[in-house]
Amino acid sequence: MEVFVKIERGRYVDSLETLLASSVLNEQPGIEIGCAGMATDPGKDVLESVGLLTEELRGCDGSCYIIAARAESQDAFDKAVAEVEASLAPVSEDEEIEASYPTIRAAAEACPKANLCSIAVPGEYALGEVKKALNAGLHCVVFSNNVPLSDEREMKELAWEKGLLCMGPDCGVANINGAALVLASINNRGPFGICGASGVGIQHVAAILHEAGTGVSQTIGTGGNDLKNEVGGLMMLMGIDALEADPETKYIALIARRIGDQVLPGLLERISRCKKPVVALFMSCDQATVESAGAIWAKDLDDCAQKCLALTGQTYRLDTDEEIVARAAEVVVKLAPEQKYVRGAFSGGTFMDEAMHALIPKVGNVYSNIALRPEWQLADSQVSVKNTCIDYGEEEFTLGRPHPAIDPGVRKPAIPREAADPETAVILLDFILTPPGHMDPVGYVLSDIRKAQEEARAAGRELIFVASVLGTDADLQNVSVQRQKLADAGVLVCKTNHQAALLAGEIIRQKKERDE
Amino acid sequence: MNCEKIMNLFQSELVVVNVGPKLFATALEQQNYKTVQVDWKPIAGGDREMQEILEVLGGLD
Repeated sequence: MEVFVKIERGRYVDSLETLLASSVLNEQPGIEIGCAGMATDPGKDVLESVGLLTEELRGCDGSCYIIAARAESQDAFDKAVAEVEASLAPVSEDEEIEASYPTIRAAAEACPKANLCSIAVPGEYALGEVKKALNAGLHCVVFSNNVPLSDEREMKELAWEKGLLCMGPDCGVANINGAALVLASINNRGPFGICGASGVGIQHVAAILHEAGTGVSQTIGTGGNDLKNEVGGLMMLMGIDALEADPETKYIALIARRIGDQVLPGLLERISRCKKPVVALFMSCDQATVESAGAIWAKDLDDCAQKCLALTGQTYRLDTDEEIVARAAEVVVKLAPEQKYVRGAFSGGTFMDEAMHALIPKVGNVYSNIALRPEWQLADSQVSVKNTCIDYGEEEFTLGRPHPAIDPGVRKPAIPREAADPETAVILLDFILTPPGHMDPVGYVLSDIRKAQEEARAAGRELIFVASVLGTDADLQNVSVQRQKLADAGVLVCKTNHQAALLAGEIIRQKKERDE
Repeated sequence: MNCEKIMNLFQSELVVVNVGPKLFATALEQQNYKTVQVDWKPIAGGDREMQEILEVLGGLD
């Protein structure tokens, strides 16, 4: 194998496209490892980390688009490059070429009805673009991450001054006027307004409300850093103001993971003045603190949705503890003596954390690449130990590739690897649907699941797959269709990620009890 | 805080200026929302020094 490169000076390909191009490149025959991207300093760091930074590439600058790979031959590299180019140019010849503009100001002037700007540029450029959008009178949703907290503070102060929304940076989910922005699900409209610092959290609560037959007025993602002391919770406070003022919003749900100690008092004070009922899932706060502000306390994401529904006299049917025990008992008898452990492969941190908290009381220690305790940290994220959960949305897996919600290929190696371990009893998976995401994330891994099951059976074992799908039946992929595909393949499908983790943990607990 | 502009947004047809990957605009168009694309690229080919000079000269838009 030898390193081959292609350099195009003066060509710009955006970051997401280069990530997708890298994914395509790595799937081509004869390519051991490859990378496509702009030859910026961070881009060259990625190349160096995978051993592809040749002297020629070292001399390139940020104006060069490069494709580099360790390949079997020049011919294999050329064919792979052709595939990458084809994947970047999906526009057919008879398709109308749409107008595009060089700057935000030019776009806003050409389209006076524009009212929101969706920004996904490298983090170092986010502040500049957000300021341009706010100065053009546009509300903003900012997907860019790795934005300095001082930049985030500055953009949100400007937004506050102008009375405009600045959702993000690092905002993965927002639903405005019925539109699913960034990586949100498509939801029914309804009386619940959600403001949250956890994208998956917002998406999860909104999806349950949708499935229960109601929906959301607006959902405002603040970005995960909004409630840090340095940023001051500015967008959470604006979000509460906005949802309180919005006549379509009758009830408000707030979701936050960790809240800065300097931010919490002001947030609680604002909630105490809110004229509409508030359900609060503040993962770092106890029940008494939340209730002291007059809010309804929620203990987890499922509970947050249930507490919202209770406000309108509705409930969402989830499996009871007894039903989970009974489901586990049906399958535990199929396990071979050596099968003892659960292996979770997740596409994001929120769901993995939730799953590990649900697993621990049933299985004990859970090892992870982002462990809950230092002593449970995996030495190697490619090698699971006993009960293990791995977050494939972490940078060690996504460096040079898109997030698994967009590119499920990031998690693909997990299934055969965990299935090959004779001690694996349960493989636990999450699937997340979104309009820009893969159009059939379940279909993408079905052949891997079936192959793993067949190989296990041939070796005298029965592998149990447990999974949940986050999304709605209004999503382009349709959550019901995705769940049915899993069920047809013999996967135990649960309505939520929390319930899937409880079931997986219960299977392991019963197996251990039986072994003893 | 004055929420007038946010209420205007909530009561208007959503029209999105998309800066960055076209994938996000396409996803909105699939939901029948109107989008306008900005062909974003780093100013001065990502050259920091040149960007600072342009900023001083008022050439950054």
